[in-house]
Order: sequence, then structure tokens, then C-alpha cells
Amino acid sequence: MNLTLTLQSLISGIMMGAVYALLGIGFSLTWGVMRVINVSHATFGLLSAFVSYSLFKTFGIDPIASLVLTLPAMFGLGCIIYWLLINPITRAKAVIVSSMILTFGIAIILENLILLMWGADPRLLTTSYTNKVYVIGPLYFQYPRLLGFVMALVGVSAVQFFLKRTLTGKAVRAAWQQPEASQLCGINLKKISMITFGVAIACSGAGGVGMAMLYSFEPHSHNLWLIYLFLVVIVGGVGNILGAAAGGMIIGIITGLSMAFMPYQWVNLLTFGLLMVILVLRPQGLFQSEV
Amino acid sequence: MAHGNDRSGFYRVKLILAGIIFVLGVYPWLAPPVYFISFAFNVLTYITLATSWNIIGGYTGYLSFGHVAFFGIGAYATAVLGARLDLGPALVILASLPAGVVSALVAVVIGYPCLRLRGPYFAVITLCFAFVTEITVRNLDFLGGADGLWIKGLAMPIETSRSIFFELMLVLTVVCLSSAQWIETSRFGAGLRAIREDEEVAQTMAINTPKLKIIAFAASAFFPGVAGGIYACYLTYIHPDIVFDVNISILIVLMALFGGGASWVGPLVGATLLTFVNEGLSTFVKAEFARIIYGCLFIIVIIFMPNGIVEFLKNVIVKRRLRTKFVKNKSSNLLS
Repeated sequence: MNLTLTLQSLISGIMMGAVYALLGIGFSLTWGVMRVINVSHATFGLLSAFVSYSLFKTFGIDPIASLVLTLPAMFGLGCIIYWLLINPITRAKAVIVSSMILTFGIAIILENLILLMWGADPRLLTTSYTNKVYVIGPLYFQYPRLLGFVMALVGVSAVQFFLKRTLTGKAVRAAWQQPEASQLCGINLKKISMITFGVAIACSGAGGVGMAMLYSFEPHSHNLWLIYLFLVVIVGGVGNILGAAAGGMIIGIITGLSMAFMPYQWVNLLTFGLLMVILVLRPQGLFQSEV
Repeated sequence: MAHGNDRSGFYRVKLILAGIIFVLGVYPWLAPPVYFISFAFNVLTYITLATSWNIIGGYTGYLSFGHVAFFGIGAYATAVLGARLDLGPALVILASLPAGVVSALVAVVIGYPCLRLRGPYFAVITLCFAFVTEITVRNLDFLGGADGLWIKGLAMPIETSRSIFFELMLVLTVVCLSSAQWIETSRFGAGLRAIREDEEVAQTMAINTPKLKIIAFAASAFFPGVAGGIYACYLTYIHPDIVFDVNISILIVLMALFGGGASWVGPLVGATLLTFVNEGLSTFVKAEFARIIYGCLFIIVIIFMPNGIVEFLKNVIVKRRLRTKFVKNKSSNLLS
């Protein structure tokens, strides 16, 4: 086996995986905390990718810099969506099922809004540094991937910090472990859920921009992204942020290696097959879920 | 009286249903435009798919998001059987029955490990199963690969052949609906409902839950398999993009839950309504707007009618009946 090629695909796999992880942590958070499976999670990421694409094309704002604008906007959007649509169903008996269908409706609406506003053409986020590479010995580090990797690192650590160190984050974890008891301690469950949802959507916004820097994207891309989300979350364990990060890396490495050594059409088969095997053998994720 | 004579009400419903089936059976021979026959065929296909999905999804509470795989397997099995045994166009249609059995067998094999998972995990694994089958079929050369497969069509004018397929699908739909109705009232169905309500308790009540789940999964895979076979003969051409379209999978789930998963009436109403809405919207409105309205529909149904539209309407009617009764009694009391 060619060592350089292996190393190279390993590295690019890790970098891609970091972006998957960034996209996945929000999904993991809503699933774990609120028992809401947000099927439209990837669609929000796609929306943010299109918005930063437009900001870049019309005003020349760098996609990374535009996160300053898009992240608060996505947070607000998440809060509004939670208040209007998710909140009414959280008391239903089968929250998981109804949330899947409800958010599927949201995904359809968003996808078609994107289609209406941006059209069906595939887009590429081509910035001034898209084609730049860092060369260390025989290995290449593409700039966009490096940036995505750094962004993902920052994002995942920020969410981890938020959950472990801030008061609101602790309230989120409390609400997750003991919804009733946390209310007795004076935690406003609705408000906490709203903040969680907003944070999750903001994460998906950041992840969407990251994905847009790696791949071309079009209004239907979110379907494939969603599969990656499920993979990342199920490998990492539901609600486990660091697990999701590790899961993202693992998925990235596997796809990176399989893209290098397998015929292209079988790569997705491997991905889905892997997900099925993991689901059957270890549905709780490869790492024990920690809170 | 509204509920004085339940038995006669039951027979009345049966009579009405028989009438509807008869009208539907006669309908294609009244020479309507081909478009309407095709549309009615689509409605029946979706009713069959949603009703059979409901056996595992609605009664048992296991949401399978990969039911299109069974549809596609049925279609491909029919085509391959027809080609290998060199069957004539008329006999190919009969091959859809063994194709349904193939689907059911696949369901048993897949269901054995997968049915141990619950809730969203089961939904995800069945979705993956649908993707895996699609990719496999697309990349196997003897199944036509990305070029698809051709099936010998009936050498008849298009109106006649479509009418024949319509009749076949009608028969399948009726069989499927009556099996669903039978399951609902049988001991087997009671076991499935027990699994949906609480699987652990069902187990302690000596219900063999794994066996029941596998049987339910196989039954709910059989009808899509047969439907896929008929659909393949109807189209005379199958391609992974058509018969393994994930949107069909999701649509089936939505139709069944839209109508309400608790009884066989739900998927019937849901599939009919949604197919009509879909067709109407896509004829009159721009496709994107149509789908936005479609998405809003799901949100509205989930928030305001969580048990499905049938249950919702039933509640409304019952409430109105109670109110009129109450008001009537009150006025008569006042008069006397």
C-alpha cells in the first residue's frame, strides 16, 4: 500500500470529519436534550451556506468573517422555530416520531425556499485561498480544509465549554438529565430548550459553511448531509458532544480512505453498511454516553 | 339512532364499500381519458403502500423509512423472473406474486437483526437499508445497472392495458385493505398493539414479540413487493431512480400518519387525500410553492391533529353529536 497516499487520505479524512462533527453536534444536542430529532438540521446548515455564498458574491465578505453575521441570525431563527413549531409538540406522547415528521416538513419548506431564491445550480464557494496548499514534505494541506478543521475545533470546544462551564450550559445538562427535577430547581425548561435549539441551529450554520468550503452544494445536498449527521451522532452516541466529535473523525477517516482505495460508486454503500452494522451491534454508540 | 343499531351500521358501511369498489372496477371501461386511469392507478398504488406500511408502522409502532426497498425489490424480482423464465407479457404480471414473496423473505432476513432496535434507530436503519439496496442494484450489471431494465409490455392499445393494470392494482388494494382490517380485529393485531403500547409489558404477558414483529414486517413487505411487480409491468421499464426513490418511502410514512395510523381507514384516507392534493397542487401552482404548501401541511397535521386526520374528524363529529343531543334534551326538559 502506498504510504504517502494513505497518510494523505488519512489527513484529509480527519479534516473532513471535523466538519461533519461540527455539523453533527447540534443534531446530537437536540436529540439528546429535547428528544427532538431535527431532520431539518442539515437544511439549516445549507441555508447558512447559501447565505454566506451570497454575502461573499455580492459584498465580498469572506465566508469565515460572515459567520459573525450568520451565526446570531441562525441562533435567532432557531429560537423562533422552536417557539412557533417545536414547543407545541414537546408534550406529545411520541415526541420523537412527531418531531421527525414536523421537521421533515420544515426541511421541505426550507429546501424549496432555497430553490426559489437561489435556483437549482450547484454552487462552489471559491475564495481567494481555495486553491492554496500548505506543503509539508510529501503531504499537502489544502487551505479550505485546514480552515474548516480549525473552525470545527473552535466550534466543538466552544459548545463543550458552554455545556460544562457556563451556568446556562449546566442548566441545559440538568434539563436533559432530569426534566422535572430541574424545574424544581428553578430552571425554565422552555427557555432552556429554546436556547438549546438556537445553539444547535447556530452550530449547523457554522457546519454548513464548513461543508460549503469543502464540497460543491445545491438545494438537495442536505439529504446526503443528513445521512452523515445520523452516522456521526450514532457512532458518537446520542447527546455526547465529544463522542460526536470523535465520531465525525472516524467517519471522515473511513470515507477519506475508502475514497482513495475504492471504486467511487461503492463508497456510499460502505458508509450506509457501516451505519447499519454499528446500529445493530452498538446502538448506544461506540463510546458510552457521558453527560 | 346514531348508535342504537351497531350491526346494521356495520353492514351499511360494508355495502357502501362494496359499492365504491364496484364503481372503481367499472370506471376504466367507461373510457375516461388515459390520464385519469393512470392517476387512479397511482392513488391505488399509494393506498396499498401506505396500508401495508401501517401494519408495521401504525399497529406495531415501528417506523420503517425504507419501505420503498420492498417496492423496488418486487419490481426487480418481477422483471428478472420474467426475463429468466422467458415469460410472455401476460405471465410476467403473475411473477409479481413470487416477487412479493421475495420481498417478504428479504424482510424476514433484514427484520431479524433490525427489529431489535426501536424508535428512531429502527427508522434510521431501515432508511439505510433502502439506500444500500438502491446502490447495490444500481451497480449490479445483471440487474441492468444504471441503465434500468425493460419488461415486455402487453401488445394492446394503451387504454386497455392501463385498464387491466388498474384492475389488478384494485384487486391488490382490496386484498391489502381487508388483510389490514382482519389484522386489526384479530388476536395477532392485538399483540401488535400491545407491542406498540409497551413492549416489555407485552413480553411479560407471554406475547412472543420478536415473532410477531417479524411476521408483521414480512406481511407489510409482501404487498409493496406485489405492488412493485404490477407497477413494473405497468411502466414496462424500471430504473433504480424510479422504483427506489427515497421520497416514496417518506411519502408512504407521511400518508399513513396523515390519515392516522391506528386503523386501516387512516392510510386509506391519508393516501387518497395527499395524492389528490399533490396532483392538484402540481397542476395549478409552481412546483416549489406546491412543495412549500405540502411541507406546511405536515406541520399543521402534526401540531393540530397528532392522531391523524381521521381521528380528528371523528372527534369533531362526536362532539357535535353530543352537543346537539345535549341541547335537544335540555330544550325538551324545559318544555315538559
